Amino acid sequence: MNIKARTNAISWSFIALAVIMICIFYFYPMVRALMLSFQSGTGTNLSYVGLDNYARLLTDSTFRTALFNTFIYLIIQVPVMIILAIFISVLLNDPKLKFKGFFRTAIFLPAVTSLVAYSIIFKYLFAGDGLVNSLLMNLHIIQTPIQWITDPLWAKVTIIIAITWRWTGYNMIFYLSALQNIDNSIYEAARIDGANAFTQFTKITVPLLKPIILFTSITSTIGTLQLFDEVMNITQGGPGNATMSLSQYIYYLSFRYTPDFGYAATVSYAIVILIVIFSVIQFRLAGDRK
Amino acid sequence: MKKWIAVLLVSMMAITACSSGGNNNEGAAEGGSADKLVVWAWDANFNVKAMNLAKEAYQAENSGVEIEVIENAQNDIIQRLNTGLSSGTTRGLPNIVLIEDYRAQSFLQAYPDMFEPIGDSFQASDFAEYKLGPTSVDGEQYGLPFDSGVAGLFVRTDYLEEAGYTADDLQNITWDDYIEIGTKVKEATGKDWITLDPNDLGILRMMIQSAGSWYVQEDGKTADLKDNAALKEAFEVYKKMMDANIVRIHSDWSQYVANYNSGEVASVPTGNWFTSSITAAEDQSGKWAIVPVPRLANNDSVNATNLGGSSWYVLNVPGKEQAADFLGKTFGSDVDLYQKLVEEISAIGTYMPAAEGEAYKAPNEFFGGQNVISDFATWTNEIPNVNYGMNTYAIEDILVVEMQSYLGGKSVDQALADAQAQADTQIK
Repeated sequence: MNIKARTNAISWSFIALAVIMICIFYFYPMVRALMLSFQSGTGTNLSYVGLDNYARLLTDSTFRTALFNTFIYLIIQVPVMIILAIFISVLLNDPKLKFKGFFRTAIFLPAVTSLVAYSIIFKYLFAGDGLVNSLLMNLHIIQTPIQWITDPLWAKVTIIIAITWRWTGYNMIFYLSALQNIDNSIYEAARIDGANAFTQFTKITVPLLKPIILFTSITSTIGTLQLFDEVMNITQGGPGNATMSLSQYIYYLSFRYTPDFGYAATVSYAIVILIVIFSVIQFRLAGDRK
Repeated sequence: MKKWIAVLLVSMMAITACSSGGNNNEGAAEGGSADKLVVWAWDANFNVKAMNLAKEAYQAENSGVEIEVIENAQNDIIQRLNTGLSSGTTRGLPNIVLIEDYRAQSFLQAYPDMFEPIGDSFQASDFAEYKLGPTSVDGEQYGLPFDSGVAGLFVRTDYLEEAGYTADDLQNITWDDYIEIGTKVKEATGKDWITLDPNDLGILRMMIQSAGSWYVQEDGKTADLKDNAALKEAFEVYKKMMDANIVRIHSDWSQYVANYNSGEVASVPTGNWFTSSITAAEDQSGKWAIVPVPRLANNDSVNATNLGGSSWYVLNVPGKEQAADFLGKTFGSDVDLYQKLVEEISAIGTYMPAAEGEAYKAPNEFFGGQNVISDFATWTNEIPNVNYGMNTYAIEDILVVEMQSYLGGKSVDQALADAQAQADTQIK
């Protein structure tokens, strides 16, 4: 064995454990889930049905509604949250700001709360006779209580408000740390050249934040596609299935209805395909070609 | 290149997150074994208490048998049973488990061989007939029928009086009468007549079972929505209720109970197990009565129906003979136990010989001295037997959506036809 082969063998032995673990705990379940998605039946009585599950997916109106809802969350919530997070982080990065630590903590704090706990609190805040309605009515902004949970449109709004509250602070932290890495002399030079605050923001801050914007928008997109806790606890997917998310549908197929694990696996593969597509699109849009 | 690695990593994260929903067994710590019987049930004040009473009765004669009753939320029991049974291992599963009647066939048929037939340890014919369908498969008895879901109409007599009615005016009425009276009560008192959760069509289930109909045909497999006359009338009644402006909307259980305990809503058609939630508002003692549930006007419908109710099942794990013996000697034949169930937790069983006991005849002061238990026991015998099949909740979720479209202007025939089409693709 020559030296090169030996170094190779040693290097491989270092990563072998990680590779084996990843194979067992990532790739093996992935392959099994794929096989499961070609089977159908109740509980343990599964049999291979070929592409039937995927055909069923195309005609399944509940799946379509869940997909539509998820897109609504995605299209509205992710941009709102990202913009809000950038905005807040720029404000908090102002060197002249007092009580910086307090504000940062306050805005990040929602991200450490338990998903279930905050969902339940939101459910009560937004109930028909909840705090939000009482507040709005006492301020004479509305005359009759808004049905935040039981109206199809408002229920979606409630979910979007909830996840925005929960995740904005989390994303803000990424921007804040990225902002601190931008050299102040760039801004100084820009100011000397006569750039105003808005130009500085669009021409310096945003381009330099681009990798982080890409990262946060991908993780947020994935997070939204996997949305479960909030919908399950605040609206239970209702009214009807106006707020049902894809992950919740998977849960229902496995545990609420007579279990059909095969079809549930098919729906989860649909999510996987969507995530791959979205990630590619986002990389393309960000122009990260290499 | 880097891009593709990133995409791959991202999708890997997603896949593992999706596929990890499977098995989280709790280990063998509480697994079934011959020397100890483990029971899973939900509702500490009702099912768990009932099981503990049975345990005391059994241990008085079989002191060597250890029985452990574990309380789990119903949803958790369903999920743990599904994961446990589908993984093919019985480790971590109990000996005896409580399953809701609507879901029983789903478990019995999805996991054949995992449940033990226990028909030999008690007389199935001693139980209310409508409980036998959901608890057996192909004539083989798997479940021991437990509580009756027999329904009644709970109503505030003081509000009725303000509108010029008495509880007698509500005996054996139709749903249309019910709405008419409700409108008058609302005019007189300003109180809503009923509270409903748009996601829970329990009231529809009560209506159609009173006409001997269900979401599926008698085979339990074919969805029966389009051209189901009882279901169509139930849909129409539901809409009339909404249009009459007598309905308050709630979105969870605690709001539901609070609406009654605060005196905001005047009547509730529901299962007898709701009695303890009504009597929890002690200041309303003497202001309630229970009358038979309304019936559908245009279908062959009776003033008796069912909502919920569950039964005990023995899993095919070591200790199954002991478990079957335990159930047979307690819930399967012990008349005294059923008297205690009534006295201590107002639980009404479906064991018919028990109805002769003293506790069943005692008047209830909260309901103005009405013999509520004996009334419920009488109505139990009139409930039509239907085959719930194994897809009650899957179909109901489809109907919930169609109900919203119907309320929004779709025709009832179209709504039911659309629901039928969806159910047909979903159920196989």
